[in-house]
Amino acid sequence: MKALMSIGALVGVVGLLLLVGMIFDVIPSNTVRLVEGYMPFQMLLEFTCYVAGFAGLSYMASSIGMAIPRFWQGIGFWAFVLLYLKFRVYPPIPFSVRAMYGTVSLVAVFMWVSANEEDWKEFKRPIMNVLDASSGTNKLLRYAYLILLPIIIGGFSFNAMVPKSEEPIELRTVHPAPPASTKVHGKTFVLQTSQNPYRVNPEGKYDQEFTNANIVEQGMGRLMKPNANPWDEKNEGYLKYVREGGEIFFQNCHFCHGDNLNGRGLHAFAFNPIPANFTDPGTIAQLQETFIFWRVSKGGIGLPNEGFPWASVMPPWEQHLTVDEIWKVVLFEYWHTGYYPRTWD
Amino acid sequence: MMNSVTRKAGVVAATAFGVILVSGSIEGSLFAQEKLPEGFKKGDLAPEPAAEMIEAGKRVYFTKCVWCHGVDGAGDGPGADRLWPRPRNFNQGTFKIRHTASGELPLFDAKKPIPGQNDLFETVTHGLPGSAMPPWEGILTEEQRLQVLSFVTTQLVKDRKFTDKQSESQTILQLAELKPKAATDESKKRGSELIVEKKCIECHGVEGRGDGNAFNLKDDWGFPIQPADFHKCWNFRGSRQDPYNVGNIFRTFSTGVNGTPMPSFADNTTVDERWDIANFVNSLCERDTVGNPLPIDPLTDKPKINFVVPSNLVEGEIPADMENEAWQKAPKRYVAMGGQITHKPRNFVNRIDDIWVRSLYNDKSVVYLLEWDDRTKSVAEGKLPWAPMQVNIEIKEQDPKTGEEGSIAANQNKYAIYNDAIAIETAVKWKELPAPIKPRFLFGTNDQFPVDIVKWEADGSIRAFLGTGWDKDFIERDTYEENLKVLKGEWKNGRWYVMIQRPLGNKKDQDYEEDTFFEVGQYIPTVFFAWDGHNGDAGRKMAVSAFYYTFLNPPIPRETYIYPVVIAFGVVLLEGWVLTRRANKKKGKTL
Repeated sequence: MKALMSIGALVGVVGLLLLVGMIFDVIPSNTVRLVEGYMPFQMLLEFTCYVAGFAGLSYMASSIGMAIPRFWQGIGFWAFVLLYLKFRVYPPIPFSVRAMYGTVSLVAVFMWVSANEEDWKEFKRPIMNVLDASSGTNKLLRYAYLILLPIIIGGFSFNAMVPKSEEPIELRTVHPAPPASTKVHGKTFVLQTSQNPYRVNPEGKYDQEFTNANIVEQGMGRLMKPNANPWDEKNEGYLKYVREGGEIFFQNCHFCHGDNLNGRGLHAFAFNPIPANFTDPGTIAQLQETFIFWRVSKGGIGLPNEGFPWASVMPPWEQHLTVDEIWKVVLFEYWHTGYYPRTWD
Repeated sequence: MMNSVTRKAGVVAATAFGVILVSGSIEGSLFAQEKLPEGFKKGDLAPEPAAEMIEAGKRVYFTKCVWCHGVDGAGDGPGADRLWPRPRNFNQGTFKIRHTASGELPLFDAKKPIPGQNDLFETVTHGLPGSAMPPWEGILTEEQRLQVLSFVTTQLVKDRKFTDKQSESQTILQLAELKPKAATDESKKRGSELIVEKKCIECHGVEGRGDGNAFNLKDDWGFPIQPADFHKCWNFRGSRQDPYNVGNIFRTFSTGVNGTPMPSFADNTTVDERWDIANFVNSLCERDTVGNPLPIDPLTDKPKINFVVPSNLVEGEIPADMENEAWQKAPKRYVAMGGQITHKPRNFVNRIDDIWVRSLYNDKSVVYLLEWDDRTKSVAEGKLPWAPMQVNIEIKEQDPKTGEEGSIAANQNKYAIYNDAIAIETAVKWKELPAPIKPRFLFGTNDQFPVDIVKWEADGSIRAFLGTGWDKDFIERDTYEENLKVLKGEWKNGRWYVMIQRPLGNKKDQDYEEDTFFEVGQYIPTVFFAWDGHNGDAGRKMAVSAFYYTFLNPPIPRETYIYPVVIAFGVVLLEGWVLTRRANKKKGKTL
């Protein structure tokens, strides 16, 4: 038990030092990077480590007779959660979301300190002591609070009221409802029944199973399967079209959507909304191939109002590409990200 | 086709000759070991990567890299022709960012992914900012990055061999052991003198904006190349996602950039002098008002963007002098610019990638001060073949595939020269449209939701247009133009300084249907467009920004001072109440 607790304490100290280092910019915040796609697990793991560390620390402290009072434990943990969310998580979480997490963890801390009558009393004691001014220091503290509180709150409200020029928050629907059908180059495509004509096996038959078996492997790097190289001259069917789609992608799309289809292309930094990240499980992995076909063909200008057609720089690709080229690009995007398109059933 | 083959042969022959020259000089240096340039040490060639690494690397290469670098690594993949700089041709073994002496192969060891000791690994990890090469960290594992490099260095570098002791050597800059010199004023001053003495300014320009000799420079493959702009350190190829780190500049200056006209200065400068130069060059990079580095967005490796352009109120005339206190105090915003690649003709390579905007207003007008780096002052000679309001003009966009000779990179400096220009586009009926709806960023939605465009061109003209859609020619507003004023329009040492004054608009006196009404304290959607005349930019071929907001800072209202005081007083009352209650309760207990 003791050994376990000391390991926990060690983890806690190291973790805290890391976090403090990151906050004060002593350690570059990318020392331990949160990896795209694995972030939730990584965060859960880190949090577990921290909780273990805190348990260990408080055990150690009490065993050497320097027990940390409940009051400071609660406040310390809450402060830790806030700092962790602010400084560790990247991309940064907006303040409103952090405020939500902060409230939830505050409630959790309260539940913890008020689990039974005794704990609650112990938690309250420092507050009561100050209120009653039971000792000289407490008396001093009480006067300090009396004077500082109104000043701080008044200052905050002044700050909140001073006219500021913060970017207005505009919430955009990333995947608006698609139309029932779309007309591209004079041909009408019904979204529910259309199929990608290039999702075919070497015999030229539509074959979802065959094509799904030849996409890149999931996992870090998303590399092609060893025997499914689209650049193999002998390819027929699916992989041949993947290569053709890739050529079109790297002549037209990568400027924004990036060489790894993660929305970090050459021009991406200048645009708002930022280009879609296809490697994110929330984009093409959640959508049907015909939805992508519609989005690619009609571009930003073809979006309904909730998709912000006025701000999107996504070209209506029917102006630049043929129907066949668009289907091939869609095929390539699923191949390169390793996702299966959703089907209608 | 024939032409291309002979040219390639020529390049190969020239490189072979270069290799002989280099090997010759190495033999020479073997005689005199002490003659190594200061700060360098002899190193050993790395061992050949394991066969499994090379095989595994092929898989990485054909998933991720082949699309730009090509099947044979000749930098001729499907994406190559629309890129400038073109993707690296690996065949000659010419790599830009190294710790090794000029002309030598870069450091690469498949077993040592250590920063400072593995140049190619760092290039793949951090990418090459300012080019299409992204950072692969977080996408490919460390192992995969080493694998793909094993494949590239052994299979695709064809004219040289990383393990050939006869022809290759490694003279390594000991950057980790050289302590950077403090960037004192004295050091920077000496650096500023040295860059003149060492002729840096001949290419990089007097102010270091990359505007000197920008037209005669070619890389080893004959493609036009431009000197770096010292003011945009985040675009330095060798910035390693750490643009304000002076060590990167010191390294590039010490080792040169292979394949480009940038030589190594190791032989004719001392380490001390190189730190002075690096400190000075580093000090030129854009900083905030108190001199701190700009915050860099780790997702884009460019300065963080604030989409609000605040405009301060001035009493009386708005000064036309940039040095005026009002302008010095006005917040300066970084506006990121991308190529217009939505509608034809698409601008795949925009040479203007940011502008800096400040704004002031008074009771009648609003003035924008726009500054942007443009290596070339372009004023069209003679009359342009189209009218100013024409948008649908005949300009060819780059074909997807034309081979090296027809690529953007090969034709960079051969465009007909048009006017440099800048335009500010604002939404006309921004208040009638329910937020967040705006007219479309590219020249408005339609007749119902148009935009107001004010365009300045390098010939000194300023015009007002109404834009009613991306493919509609502008509607010229002759009568409005007399209200516009160019307070400044100057190109100096690679930078344009343009000050444009326009009326605030007035709902009563002026036709609100046609121009923007700048209301104080409101977010007015604003888009910026920029054209580089030497890049063949005209019509829709241009650089565009996203939607920004012009915000005329209102004077602080009186309530702002009253309410906080009231609130603070309320808190005092509350405190009194709590304390009295507590005291009473205690009294009750003790009694």
